[in-house]
Formats: sequence, C-alpha cells, structure tokens
Amino acid sequence: MTGIVLRKFLSENKIVALLIVVALIWALFGYLTYNTDTGVSGFLTARNFSNLLRQMAITGMLAAAMVFVIVAGEIDLSVGSLLGLLGGIAAILDVVYGWPLAGTIAFVLLAGAALGLMNGWLTSYLGIPSFIVTLGGQLAFRGAVLGLTGGITIAPVSPGLKYLGQGYLPGWLGNGCAILLFAVLLFMAIRTRRKRLQHNLKVPTPAMEAAKLFGTGLLILGFVLVLNSYQGIPVPVLLLLFVLAVFTVIAKGTVFGRYIYAAGSNSEATRLSGVNVNLVKMSVFGLMGLMAALAGLTTTARLAAGTPSAGFGGELDAIASCFIGGTSMRGGVGSVIGALVGALIMASLDNGMSMMGVDTFWQQIIKGIILVIAVYLDIISSGVKRL
Amino acid sequence: MSDFLLEMKNISKSFSGVKALDGIHLQVRPGECVGLCGENGAGKSTLMKVLSAVYPHGTWEGKIFWEGRELKATSIRETEKAGIAIIHQELMMVPHLSVAENIFLGNEISTHGFLDYDAMNARAQELLAKLNVHDINPALPVLNYSGGKQQLIEIAKALNKNAKLLILDEPTSALTSSEIRTLLDLIKRFKAEGTACVYISHKLDEVAEIADTVTVIRDGTHIGTQPMEELTTASIVTMMVGREMKNLYPKEDHAIGEVILEARNITCWDVTNPDRKVVDNVSLTIRKGEILGIAGLVGAGRTELVSTLFGAYPTAHQGTIHLDGREMSIRTPRDAVRAGICMVPEDRKKSGILPIIGVGHNMTVSVLSRFARFGLIDEHEELAQIQTEILRLKIKTADPMLPIASLSGGNQQKAVLSKMMLPEPRVLILDEPTRGVDVGAKYEIYKLIFALAKTGVAVLMVSSELPEVLGISDRVLVIGEGQLRGDFVNDNLTQEQVLAAAIGHAAQVA
Repeated sequence: MTGIVLRKFLSENKIVALLIVVALIWALFGYLTYNTDTGVSGFLTARNFSNLLRQMAITGMLAAAMVFVIVAGEIDLSVGSLLGLLGGIAAILDVVYGWPLAGTIAFVLLAGAALGLMNGWLTSYLGIPSFIVTLGGQLAFRGAVLGLTGGITIAPVSPGLKYLGQGYLPGWLGNGCAILLFAVLLFMAIRTRRKRLQHNLKVPTPAMEAAKLFGTGLLILGFVLVLNSYQGIPVPVLLLLFVLAVFTVIAKGTVFGRYIYAAGSNSEATRLSGVNVNLVKMSVFGLMGLMAALAGLTTTARLAAGTPSAGFGGELDAIASCFIGGTSMRGGVGSVIGALVGALIMASLDNGMSMMGVDTFWQQIIKGIILVIAVYLDIISSGVKRL
Repeated sequence: MSDFLLEMKNISKSFSGVKALDGIHLQVRPGECVGLCGENGAGKSTLMKVLSAVYPHGTWEGKIFWEGRELKATSIRETEKAGIAIIHQELMMVPHLSVAENIFLGNEISTHGFLDYDAMNARAQELLAKLNVHDINPALPVLNYSGGKQQLIEIAKALNKNAKLLILDEPTSALTSSEIRTLLDLIKRFKAEGTACVYISHKLDEVAEIADTVTVIRDGTHIGTQPMEELTTASIVTMMVGREMKNLYPKEDHAIGEVILEARNITCWDVTNPDRKVVDNVSLTIRKGEILGIAGLVGAGRTELVSTLFGAYPTAHQGTIHLDGREMSIRTPRDAVRAGICMVPEDRKKSGILPIIGVGHNMTVSVLSRFARFGLIDEHEELAQIQTEILRLKIKTADPMLPIASLSGGNQQKAVLSKMMLPEPRVLILDEPTRGVDVGAKYEIYKLIFALAKTGVAVLMVSSELPEVLGISDRVLVIGEGQLRGDFVNDNLTQEQVLAAAIGHAAQVA
C-alpha cells in the first residue's frame, strides 16, 4: 500500500522524483570520487558544484524555451547553430568593432528574436513542418557563422562581456537575492492558499504546506551557502534562475502561456475557440531565438572568445533535458523547472564522468542510455503505456 | 441451458477500487439480436471489452460460457478465433491501405511469406458480395469510401473470421439514413442465417426495430432483460435513466425579435475536390431569440455551411455575412468570436476539447483576456467564473483542474458549450450538440438552448436526429446536396416532410 501511495505522490510531484534522481547521481559520483588520503570527495566540493552549475547554465537557457516549443507541439533543431551564430556576432561586435556592451547585448538579443520569429513564421504561417524549417536553419546558421568568422576564433573579448560568463556575485548580494526569493515564494504560497480556501478548493494541510516551504527554504539556503563558500553565485547561474522565474510565470500565469499549452493539447480546438494559434506558435519560436541569443552571449563570454563551433549539438542537449524533465513528445505537457532539472542531470553526468576520467565515447553512450531510461520511467509512472 | 450461444454470468469489473460493472448478466441465443442499452458511462463498452478479452480472463469476476463451454480467453485473437467479432464505434481502418488489405489485416493470405493479392482481392469481393455490396473495389484505398461503406467493410472483415456473434457498438452514429437502412436490413438477414448480434445504440428506434431482447444496464448494474415485444422505446428510456422521462424536449416560450444575422449566397468548394460545390448558393436569415434547426443527410453540406459562418471553412468559399444589417468580414474563428458569433463544433474530440487541459481551463480559453491585466491571469477571478459555470451547467467533476478527457461525453460537451457561451455570443451555432451524449445530459443541453433563446441569443442548430430538430426548433432549414431544399416553420411539421425535402430530387435521380 505504501508503494502505491509513494508512486502516486511521485507521479503528482514529478519534480521530487527528478530531484531524487539528482541526489542519487551525486551520491554515486561522491562515492566514486572519494579520495581516502585527503578524506574529500572531488565531486562534492563547493568548487565543483559551482562549475557544474555554470556548465548547465547554457543548456538550461535553451531548455527553458525549448519546453515551450515542444509543449506547443513543435521542435527546434536550429538552436545550437543559432547559438553559435549569435555568439559569433557578439564576439565580432565586441572585438572587431568595439561596440559598447549594452549595444552588443541589445543587438544580439534582437537578432536572436528576429531569427526565431522567422523560423516561427515559416512554420505556422507557411505551414512548413518545424522539423524541416529548423533542420534547414541548423545548416544555414552554422554556415553563416563559419562565413562571418572566417572559421577562426575571435578573441579576446572585453572584460565587461567576460564578466557575463565568468563573473561571480559578491556574497552579500547573493544572500540578498536568496532572502528576496524566499519572501516572494512565501507570499505567493500564502496568497494561493487563501484564494483556494475562498473558493472551497482542496488545500494541503498547513503542516504539509509548511514542510514544503521549509524544504524549499532549506534548498535555497544550502544553495547560496555552498556557492558563497567558493566565490559566490556565478553570473550565468543567476541569469538562468532569472530565466526560470520568468518562464515559469509565463507558463502558469499568463494568457500567452495558457495558449501555448492549449495549442499543444489540441491545436484545432484552440483555433476554433478564437485563439490566434499561428501567432502563439510564432511567438514561441521568437522566445526560443531570444534564449539562443542569451545562451550565445553567455557562451562567448565564458570562453572569452567567439568560436565557430560554439553550441555544436546544443539543440540535442536542450531537447534531451526537456524529455528527461517530463515534457511530452506529443505536446501539451511539460514544465520549465522539470527541463532545468533535466539539464542538471545531464550536466552532472558530464561533470562526474569527466572527473573520473571516463572516455568521451563512454560518456556519450551512457548519456544516451540514461535519456531512454528516463523517458521510459516517465511513461510507466504516468501510466500512459498501452499494451 | 446450453441453448445459449453466449452466456455471461455475474460479471463484475473494478478499476482501482471503483466498480464499473457489478453482477451483469447477458445471454444471446444463436440467431438472436440483443439490444444493449444504457446511458454513457453505464458500462456497456466495459462489458464488451470483458467479452472480447480486451480485459483478459482473470482481471474480472464472473463466468462466460460460449457454446456451453466456459471461455477463459486472454487475448482478442482467442475470442476472434472462437467467433466473436467487435465492430467499434470508431472505425478501426487504416485509411491508406486497400479495402482487401484492411479486411485481411492480421490474417493475410500469403504464399511462402509473400502476400497473395489476387487471392485476397477475390476473397474480399466474395465477402462483399455476400453483403450485397457491389460498388466497392477491394483494390482501392479505404479512404475513398464513406463512413457507411467503411462500416460494411468492417463487417466483411468480421465475416472473414467466421464470426458467430457480431458486436456492433454505436454503429450508426456517423451514417446517413440510407446507410443505416442498409445496415439494419443486413443485420436482419444475418439473424435469419443464424448469426447472433449484440447491438449497442442510443438510437432506440433502431434497437426497437431489430432487437429480439433488450438488456438495460445503469451505473454498472443490471437493470433488466426483457423481450422487445414487452417494451417500448419510452419504457427503455425509463429503465436507462431510472426515472420517467415524460418530455424529452423541455420546450419553453421565447420571444423572437428582429433579424440579427443574414448570410447571402454562401458557396463552398470541396477540400479534396476543388471543382465540386459542397454548399451551393445558400442564403439564410436568423432572428434574435430564434432557434433555427438545420436538417439534412450526413454529407449534405450543413457542417461546411455553418463553418463558413464561423470563419472556419478551410478552403475556397464565397458569400457575405451581415450582422445587424452590417456586412462583416469574418475570415477566422477569432473574427467570428469577436463579432459575437460562436460555434460548438461537430467533432468534440477532434475540434472541441483540449484533452489534457483541466475542465475549468477548457471553459475559459476563449475569454482569458477578460481575467488578465498586462497578460497576467487573475486566477482568483478566473476560478470564480469557472465555479459559477460548473454549478450552472451541472458539470460533474471532482475538481475543476481534472483533465477534461477524464469526464464523460455529456460533461465534456457541457464544458465545450460553456466555453462558447462565456463570450456571450449573439449568434450561437451548435453542430450536432448532443452527439454521443446520454439522455440526461441531452435534456440539460436542451434546457440551456431554451434559456439562451429566452435571453435573445439566436441559436443555429445542425442535427442529424430529426426528433431533436423538430422538438427544439422554431424554424427548420433543410439542406440537400449543398442546396437549400426547404424552409419550414415548425408548426405541426413532421419527420416525413423534412426527410422528403432532404432526399428531394436525390431520390428522383436514384
């Protein structure tokens, strides 16, 4: 009986199940990288944790927007190349033309949104399947970056841009952010509860609610303390958290977000309800382009250089993160936080295996297997498998 | 006792603790037709799934005897081999495969592993000839044939498996009257030849015509089994709903005002055949508070006509639409909703519901911006509206956030109605509003229609059920082969008059 209760709990709180998986992976690597001489586990250090998060930041940015694309029933295979192209443009503007940082960022974000909107327009207004449009984009954007950079690395970027990818937040600012975040969560939890009660809807017991908040608070506290014990919250990680917040609000609280899920659940019925489905889908691609731009800027900043191969295969990492995080291939289902935990799982595997010196080919094989298993577990736990 | 072909005794089946079936009996003699009646969700389909081993032996309680011996089948293949064939409500055809390929799907005739098309086509022709069907080419893809023909192909498939018992689950819900006629005659012939059948249908006239015995189930329990001679359609309804349904149509007086919508010279061309007109120069007007029924055979162009009024017709069309005397440009459903025209589409599953989205969110999708400031939804306000609607329409759901697909057909339909009523339309188009909806929910939907008309909304209702059209409408338009064939004030109008107009010169040509 407890097994059934547990399964029900996990299928309703997928995020908890995913976090358990993260904990298991970390425990495993913690054990495997334990050094008996120093008594320290290489994987479980503040420094590595900081690295790990920075590694996942770029995939996370792409995955956050990819969730919307997949939920809307589409796919975007071009984001890896788009990231490369926009990162390359950022490097050229910064290094070759010496543009001010704000100008570079604004231009790259706009260009990203425009190229994304173009993908969306071709898909929704001209009716070309997004798989084809973005497969074409993957080739064309990669070609464009090779042409623009002449195939060489463009360096060194300005210190301002570099801070975007390599900088850290001072400790006091990190603490401030954490306190602010917790206050907002607390406020929202109380408000939601009051409103649900007002409408005689089911609410969790106060103890449950408090436990949930306490757990979240503990998580935030631990997160900030660990990062501050190294050098502070990395800037890309802060950006990612900001993206997470904005995208979650879009998904859950806005008209636009509701339309994305509606269109993914049944595009025709949504159209017949008087919703401009074409515009919704095009905007989703626009948002994807914007995130590719942000990821491109971060990549260039992190490497302190624009390289023509930047973001290679990035679309597949982003898509895999979404699926590991419970996004449905058939559209209509998926959460931003799920996709980010998916990205965290992928990054943890990369980081842990690299630390242990596992060959790259093995890393790829293992990641592939994990992706398939993760989706299978999701299928059986949600009980949609048919004989 | 072994004069029964099939005997199901005391069948019970639970889904995670909830009893879907509770002690059901069903007996079928060779050559007998048993009508199985019950409201949506009563457990008819579950019972048939138990019989055909979709739910294998052991997952339910009770006993099944087939030709006097206990049947413990664990797969559909076994029950098919025994001679039980199910024809599902939704046809299970592979549209791009040929008729013969569909008939032999899973039972292909082959020599040394290669398909023997000549043998399959010949045998298919033979089977179809047995059904008195001579205008189907077994080598052509199934998608070339209408729903009625496909139904016949399904039956040919069942015959190929030497079925002794045919189970037909709502076989006529997508058929035209003439196709229904053919099907019913065929079943009568089967009976004479000794093939038994179980006929599941909401259309009680059909059940009354062909069934020898009727079994009624309600909420998973066995209500009664009686010979048809002792029953009337009214008494079956009483057994199904558990209370007497005195008046199926709760007619209420409502005032009819001035003309609100006028459509002139609407013409639509076929999606797949651009030279064919599916709607041919139809003009119509509808007044405030008027309920206008649109009758006609399936495929007559009714859905295309109303889709055009709603801006949802996908390909070439022309004509003008005037609202309050002003010409409107309605090119998308969005334009229509904004202008005050809403439509509940014909196919609920395909174009009505957002299946995995909550019931409540399904209802508000057309009016979301009403609850939003700067694009942010005020969930508090939205929820209040949802709860008012759920109470008003008596939608049965444990939680407004449950996915709509988990509700029964009637409740889904009410939610879709609510979605299209919330924008407060001035003209509401309902395309087959009670298809696949049980008797109780039908009654409530009719009440809603009258309540709307009372407030001055013009209601345009397309329906294939003539009693419904006559029971509800103030005026009836009849469409036949894309043309307007009749415009009757519903005053002592009879089904015969409407049908005669619908068939019109089609009958003369044939």
